[in-house]
Formats: sequence, C-alpha cells, structure tokens
Amino acid sequence: MLELKHISKWYNVGGKPTFILKDINLKINDGEFVSIMGPSGSGKSTLLHIIGMLDDASEGEYNFMDQAVHTLREKQRSQLYKQHIGFVFQAYHLIDELTVYENIETPLIYQNIKSSERKAMVADILDRFQIVGKKDLFPTQLSGGQQQLVGIARALIAKPRLLLADEPTGNLNSRQGEEIMDLFKQLNKDGVTIIQVTHSEKNAGYGSHIINLLDGRVEQ
Amino acid sequence: MLKNYLIVAFRNLKRNKAFSFINIFGLALGMVCSLLIMLWVLDEKSMDTWHANDSRLFVVYEQQTYDGKVEAGYYTPGLLYQELKKNIPEVEMATGFNPGTDNATFEAGEKIMKVKGTFTGADFFRMFSYPLLKGDRNTVLKDPSGMAISRSMANNFFGSPDSAIGKTIRFENKSVFTVAGVFEDLPNNDSRRFQYLINWEAYVKENQWLTEWGNNGPHTYIMLRADANPALVEKKIAKFLDNYNKYLDANFKIELHLQKWSDMYLHSNFKNGKIAGGRIEYTHIFSVVAIFILLIACINFMNLATARSMKRAKEIGVRKVVGAVRSSLIRQFIGEAILISFFAVLLAILFLALLLPAFNLLTNKQIEFPFRSWTFWLSLAGLVIITGFIAGSYPALFLSSFRPIAVLKGTLRLSPTSASLRKGLVVFQFMLSIILIVGTIVVSEQIKYVQTKNLGYNKENLIYIPVEGDLTTKYTLFKQQALKTPGIQLVSRTNQAPTRIENSTFGVKWDGKDPNARIAFTQVSVGYDYAKTLKLSFKEGRDFSLDFPTDSTNYLINEQALKRIGYKDPVGKPLTFWEKKGTIVGVLKDFHVNSMHAPIVPLVIRLSETDPWGSILVRTDPGKTQLALTGIEKLCKELNPKFPFTYQFADQEYQKLYSEEKTVEKLSDCFAVLAIVISCLGLLGLAMFTAEQRTREIGIRKVLGASIQSLFALLSKDFLKLVLVAFLIACPLAWWIMRGWLQNFEYRIPVSWWAFALAGVAALMIALCTISFQAIKAALANPVKSLRTE
Ligand SMILES: Nc1ncnc2c1ncn2[C@@H]1O[C@H](COP(=O)(O)OP(=O)(O)O)[C@@H](O)[C@H]1O
Ligand SMILES: [Mg+2]
Repeated sequence: MLELKHISKWYNVGGKPTFILKDINLKINDGEFVSIMGPSGSGKSTLLHIIGMLDDASEGEYNFMDQAVHTLREKQRSQLYKQHIGFVFQAYHLIDELTVYENIETPLIYQNIKSSERKAMVADILDRFQIVGKKDLFPTQLSGGQQQLVGIARALIAKPRLLLADEPTGNLNSRQGEEIMDLFKQLNKDGVTIIQVTHSEKNAGYGSHIINLLDGRVEQ
Repeated sequence: MLKNYLIVAFRNLKRNKAFSFINIFGLALGMVCSLLIMLWVLDEKSMDTWHANDSRLFVVYEQQTYDGKVEAGYYTPGLLYQELKKNIPEVEMATGFNPGTDNATFEAGEKIMKVKGTFTGADFFRMFSYPLLKGDRNTVLKDPSGMAISRSMANNFFGSPDSAIGKTIRFENKSVFTVAGVFEDLPNNDSRRFQYLINWEAYVKENQWLTEWGNNGPHTYIMLRADANPALVEKKIAKFLDNYNKYLDANFKIELHLQKWSDMYLHSNFKNGKIAGGRIEYTHIFSVVAIFILLIACINFMNLATARSMKRAKEIGVRKVVGAVRSSLIRQFIGEAILISFFAVLLAILFLALLLPAFNLLTNKQIEFPFRSWTFWLSLAGLVIITGFIAGSYPALFLSSFRPIAVLKGTLRLSPTSASLRKGLVVFQFMLSIILIVGTIVVSEQIKYVQTKNLGYNKENLIYIPVEGDLTTKYTLFKQQALKTPGIQLVSRTNQAPTRIENSTFGVKWDGKDPNARIAFTQVSVGYDYAKTLKLSFKEGRDFSLDFPTDSTNYLINEQALKRIGYKDPVGKPLTFWEKKGTIVGVLKDFHVNSMHAPIVPLVIRLSETDPWGSILVRTDPGKTQLALTGIEKLCKELNPKFPFTYQFADQEYQKLYSEEKTVEKLSDCFAVLAIVISCLGLLGLAMFTAEQRTREIGIRKVLGASIQSLFALLSKDFLKLVLVAFLIACPLAWWIMRGWLQNFEYRIPVSWWAFALAGVAALMIALCTISFQAIKAALANPVKSLRTE
C-alpha cells in the first residue's frame, strides 16, 4: 500500500537543523494494522502526518498506492488523501459550530457527493456507531468517548483504505479505549489498513505489528 | 456545501452577538451613508439632462479679454441668438433666456399674486422638453402678447389649465398677456424654477438696451442640427461678435464658446476665462467621503475577523484535514462576509427609507426612494458583493493560509504582521475620521466668519422693498411718508441689492486715462442718503445731497476705484460716466458688494432716483422691525395698491449667498459624526476582543496585586497610541485639503491650530470612552472567575 524510503524531517532551530525523523524506511501492505510506539517527542506524530500527507518530508521518497507523493502538487495530493485516507486525532478536532451529523457529513461535502447520497451514508454510519440519538447535538454536549466516536465516524465516512489514528484513546478512560480498539479490530477485519500511534502496550497488541521510534529512528 | 457554510455562518453570528452587531450595524451605517451620497450625486448629475434633445443643446458663453485679464460668463447680447440662428447653418434653433427669475406681480380677475418667472424666445418649447398641457409648442411664445404659465399658476389664477388657456392676465400692472400655453410644473431634476414664460419681444420692448450689441444680459441657448459637430461650431462662432460689436479691438476681445446646456448646472464657475468646476466639486468631494466611510466600515469588519481568527483557526484546520482545499475556504469566508454585508444592506435599506426625508430637508432636494429603479437594486447587489469582497478578502486569505497541522498542534502564532496590519487599519480609520472632523470645524468656522465679518455696511435692521408699479414714480412721496412712520430711521434706494452689486461697465473716464484702455468698473445707482442708510464710512468727501443740484452728474467711488484711477486728491476731480461729465464728491471706504467668494472691486456710484427697477432700502430702529413693517405695508398699499406687499431682510439675503456652503456644512457635520461612530464601533470590538483574550492575564495580574488603574492603563494605552499616530498623520493632510477648499473664498480664515487640537482631543476622548467601557469591565472582573474559565 505505501512505502517510505530514506525519509528525513528536520527543522531549522537557531540556524542549524534539528532532526525529528532520520532515514526512515518503511513498507506497509494492504490490510495491515500497525502500531507506532515510542517516547514523547520521538517523532511519532510527525511520521503519521507525513504518511497522511498533512506534512512534507524534508528529504526522501514516499510512494502511496503506486503514486510518488513527493513529486505531486498540493492539489493532486489533497485529491489523493481525500479519497483514501481518514484521520483520527487524540483531541478529536470536531468543528464546534456543527452538529454531530454535520461534522460527519463535512468530508463528503468536500468530495462533491450528492446530498441524497450523503444522507444515506451518514445515516448508515450513525447507525453503525449507534449514535443516531446524538446526531443533532453539538460536540461540546458530548463526552470524550462519544466525541472520539464521532471523530472516527467522520474519518471513516468516505470509506478510506487507510485509517491514521494519533493516540486515539489518549484522552479516554480504559473502558472507552477498549471499545475504540475493538472497533479498529473490526474495521481491520473488514479490510481497512490502520496505522495508529499509541503509548499503551495493550492497545498496540491489537495490531499485527509494532514499529518502535526512538529519536526519529526506527528501532529494529 | 453552501448550506454547510450558511449554517456555520449563522451559528457564528448568533454565538457572537456583540461582534455580529458591530459588524452588521457598522457596515449598515457605512452603507446608508454611501447610499445617501450616491443618490445625491446621481440626482446632481441627472439635473437638467432629461430633455430629449439634451445632446444637441448648448449654452453660449463669452470669453472677454481686456485690461490684462481674461474673464468669462454666460451673459450675452440680447440680439445674439437670432443672429446665430440666421448665420450659422448648424444652429437649428436658438433662444435668449433672461436668467434673473424675479417675482413679478400678476393680476387676473380679483386675484393678484407674485410669481417667479422670466422671458424667453419662441424656440424655447421646441428646444426643451418641458411638457405642455395646453397650447402648441411651435407657437406658444411667438405672439408678442403670448405667454405660457405653469400648471400651479393656472390653478391658482383660473382653477385649472383648461380654463386658463386663452385668458388674459395683467403683468406688473402695465401690460396684458394672453395665456397661450400651460406647461407642467417643473420636475425636480430641472434646476430652473420659472412658473411663467413671457415672449421675447415683450422683453425687448420694455428693455431697449437689449438691442445694443455692447450690452450683455440674457443667456443664449442654441440647439445644433443633429449632424453638427459642436467643436467645429464652437470654432466657427469664436469671432462671431467681431462683426457686430463696434467696441471690440486689440484691447477688448470677446470670443464665443459653447458648453453643453445640461453641464451648466454642475460646471458654472469660471476662472481666467475657462470653465473651472462648480457644484461638480462637491459631488467629487462627497463621493470620496462616501468611499472613505464605507472603507472605515469595511476595516471594522476585517479587523474583527482577523482578530478573531484564532477562534476560527481550529475549524479551518479540521476542514483542511478532512479535505477542504484553500479555494473552498476562501469561498467560505468571502461568502460569510457577503452574507453579513447582505444583512447590513437590508438594515441600510431600512435606514435609508427612514433617513431620506431628513436628508432631503438637509440638502434641499426631493430625492425619492428609488423602489422602481433597476440600477438602484443592481448597485445594491453590487454594493453587497463589493463590500463583502473588500471586508472578507483579507480574513479569507489570511485564515485559509494557516497550515492545518500547525493549527491542530496548537503551535500556531498569529504572525506579528497581522497585528501590525490591524493597527495600521485602525490608524487609517481614525486618520480619515480626524480629517473629516477638522474639515467640519474649518467649514463651519469659515461660514461663521463670512456671516459675521464686518462688511463695511450694516446689514442688520435693513429691509428691501422692490421698486415696482406706482412706487417707481412715487418714490419721493413714499420716502417722505415713511420717514414719519414710527420705527423707521432712514430711507434710500438703489438699482441693485447691496448684497449683490454686479453690473459693470467700461464707460468710466478720468483725466490721465489711456484712451485705449478697457477698465471695468462695477457700478450702481442710488438715491440720497444711501451711505447713511447702509452705514457706509467715508474716507473723504461727502454723500450726495439735495443742497448740491449738480450732484446728478457727480459720483462716489470706493477705495479700489480710487486706486485704479490714481488721483492724488480725488474729491473735486473730474470723472466721466457714460459720457456724463461730473466730479468725484466722495470716496467711500471699501465695503463688500457681493459674497466673500469675490474680491472687492472698483465701484462707481451715481445718483438716480428714477430708475424703474431696484429696491427701496429702509433702515429700521433696532427691535422695532415689526412696527416699521406694519407702517410700510400700510404705506405701500396706499401708494401702490395693485401690487402685493413684499419685502426682504438684507441679512437674510446675505445668508442666501452661502446656501451651498451651508448644505456642505450640514452634510460634513453628519458624515464626520458617522465616521467617528463607525470607527469607534470598530475600536469597541477590538477592545472587547483584547479584553476577552487577556482575561487570564488580567486575572493573574490582579491576583498578584495589580490596581484597577494600572489594568485600565494596560488595556487602553495601546489603542490610544494608535489614535495619536492617526492624529499626527491626519494633521498635515487635513491642513492641505482645507487650505484648498478655502481658496474658493476671496476672504477666508487661516486654518487655525485649534481646529486640529479640537479634532484630536475629540477623537481621543471618544476613543477613550469607547475603550474604557471594556477596559473597566475587564479590570473590575472577579479574577477567580476569569481564571476558572480557562
Ligand atoms: N515546528 C517545529 N519546529 C521545531 N521543532 C518541532 C516542530 N514541530 C515539532 N517539533 C519537534 O519535533 C519533535 C517530534 O514531535 P512529535 O512528532 O509531535 O512527537 P511525538 O508525537 O512522538 O510526541 C518534538 O521534539 C517537537 O518538539
Ligand atoms: Mg504526538
């Protein structure tokens, strides 16, 4: 599905480059469920953002579904990830001014999907996540776990092939966390490739394999 | 997509009521202001242009070169129009027009009334589109006994246009005319205000001077053939008068020029013989003011939107992550701005409907709410879109440029450029406001100055009565009787109102004058006691007196005239006026014979108590005006029974010379107030925002022991600094602009420092009040509460 070759990322701090990612080589196949672990500040989120095309690498090659991402222009790249990638954040990042329903609907709007079709898709996912009763509430009226469910529903609404999750259970209690992990497991079974960042060994265990990051390098 | 944006926009508006109010209300104020100005400018520009032949109608003006000067004006010889029509094939029609639309007395049956109107030629109704209700366009003014009257005049005298036609009406108790036509009352977009028109021949019969080419008076209007080229015709007629006017030579040249007839209204000032603006300047000035005020309102919008962008940043980050491209975000934010400006326009329409009557009163117009005008609604739509774009573009571009990851990671900092841009915009707003305030102060000071300046004569307690009917012959009797009437001090007469002496002549000669030189003197004829009645002062010599029978050929001059003539000891020296030899008996100190727009000119005063026109001047005892008026009215009724008694106060007539400036004063007052209100609305918004943003900081400072005063200073001083900077930039600009405006006056105040000081202090105080409301609120807030909300 995707392959990183010699990916590095650095920022210029005080005139000299500080490396955040150094020479990352990584290959992830269709249907995998990968967990990225590592101490705080080791570059996990940065790596996930590069994979999700929200950030550029400073150096290296990135191929995603047979396309050389590092050569694509902004518009094409956004087209690519709009179709194939869903993102889940630790802080949920829902739009406060929109209801649950409208939040979930937003990605479909940006893909120019017809209104009737959108209705059906949102209804479907609300049903699947059992949050139909909450569809007219605003994010601030929900608990953390519920908000994260909405966040995941929004990430999945456009039926992505790849789900990226940055500490999705970081702000949740353990029971809520478990529910989310079970959901991920089920999704993976249905064919969605998942890459998650996590601090918890237990959550990492849900995945098919683990990548350890330390100071911007992959630990073998 | 649109629906999604609309939802967000609406919820944002609802959630932030104060900001929404400031945005919408401020924008609406700005819009209503520019709408009013737009309507006013359109009205001004449409003046007189409604005639079907507009593009072919021209006015002839004279450019005179003499005495080292070039001057121009619309006054032309009374014979000119006929000669032009006869000799220039391109001139299809032509007419003379007496521009002085005076009140004349008419009598029909029992009714005697004063009506405003004038004389004009037979082609008039064929050239101009004034609708004729009765009569034939081609012949109405052809018959030497024919005249046309307006619908209201017909109603007033005869009950209806139908019954008016063919009736006779007595004019000034001396001639009788037949109503040959009734025209519709003049529309509001016509600048002329006549209610009757009498044929030209009757005019010439009463005024033989019109048959001499050396005399100027009437306007000459022509209509060119449809295929004629105006520029070529203008060239062709330039030297036309050389064949007729025997006074023209190397020292005195007259060239004829053409101006589009409908342009007269806006471009009627001449400078050095060329057309140099007029009312058009005010339309330009106020158009600029309209744009300024709209800009000030848009700046509020931009400032509040960018200031609050941190709050919107998260939404934008998320939208980007779920697939929004930059262009769609720009569209969203511009759309939001357009929505707000749409609400503002709705409010502005409401304001407009409410304010229009007051505005009309202020500007002396009859502008109607243009419900049915396509262009109005289209330009409203344009206004919505343009202000939406101006107001929304910066926030849209700025907000959509956030990098989503930076936003979501929380590492985003508002760039210092956006803060300094915001400051720059506030400075710009206040700069414009201060300029407007200074402008208002200077305009009103200048008007106060011209109204109270010592004119050299005393215009208080001075009444004019028109010399008409039997008064023309019974003046001496009137004077005798009037002087016995209580409340009346002095009586004199003149052929031109003292507030407006305009006739001029080359016909003044003296010893040592270059016989070829053409020197224009303003001239007026007066009765005995003129100087005393007006309270003029003598530099030397004496007034005209019954004790000197030769005074009928003696003259008074003013200091300017003396300078021109150059006599050492003028009193007793010879002076010839219109070939009548006499001597100078007195030199008057200079006094203003016209508005302060014009310089004091050389003036020759001669004695004549028999002119068939002019005014009787009555000086009353202070505080006894009413008593004096009752007495004069009784006297007039007795001596001149066929004419309704009318009178004018000299001081009021003098005020009328500045009616245009007064309108400008009132308008600039309003706009300056609006500008400062809108600017302060914006400042209030920013202050609210800052206070909101700094609640936590303020809370901590308070816990640490900061006093309320120090917190107040903390919150206010940055804003006040901006107003101060604005003041420093505004001062030179305002000085430069107002100096330009004052050039319109020959006598003017200097732009004084205190106008700036006042404007600066006013702006600062108003800004301080605005900010302090928020600052005090924030400073007084309970710190524990504000910390907990974080
Ligand atoms: N804009 C930036 N400039 C400089 N350093 C940065 C920037 N963004 C992130 N970093 C640094 O990169 C490192 C990795 O960050 P991140 O990928 O968020 O780590 P993790 O998610 O593993 O905790 C951190 O040490 C952080 O300080
Ligand atoms: Mg992280």
